[in-house]
Amino acid sequence: MSECRESHLKLGDQVLDFEIDTYEPSVKNFGKLSLEGQKIAGKWTILFFYPADFTFV
Amino acid sequence: MGADIVTVSTDTQFVHLAWQRHEKELAVGQYSMGADPTVDLSRMFGVYDDSSGLALRVTFIINPAGILMNSEVNFYNMGRNIDELMRKFKANLYLAKKTDEGCPSKWQEEGDKTLKPSPDMVGRVHEALHE
Repeated sequence: MSECRESHLKLGDQVLDFEIDTYEPSVKNFGKLSLEGQKIAGKWTILFFYPADFTFV
Repeated sequence: MGADIVTVSTDTQFVHLAWQRHEKELAVGQYSMGADPTVDLSRMFGVYDDSSGLALRVTFIINPAGILMNSEVNFYNMGRNIDELMRKFKANLYLAKKTDEGCPSKWQEEGDKTLKPSPDMVGRVHEALHE
């Protein structure tokens, strides 16, 4: 994802695959999350964007 | 419920770890904490604010096929209501099974009144909801 992929996703659109690094509090370890992995697992994904850690969410 | 909640900010996973350890409000939170330091994901979803270098308070619901089903956008100074998010998520689960129905604004859970659009309902939504 080196190039800028600014898009204007609309409801009903297919979301392009993405992968991000995560911290997983449940196992106190780092992990990764990809949309492809969610699709293979048959899971819904709720993305909850917020401005910054150490602020209210 | 077959969903993963992933919180995302432009912080790294290392800062997420430090914050989660430090902030007692997060002690019981077990959600994945996504890192977007490149802001690629925030840009892809159109929530990145160039003027501040931060992502707005925005929630997206994506179905298992990767289709974007729902969004809610709040500015920096307003928090989100988790009950309303769960209501929308439950409605999405329900509507995925009942594709010919609609969930009205007061729908809370399965068993509550839904609407089936039809010629009879045109101009008679009140009757459909209350009879």
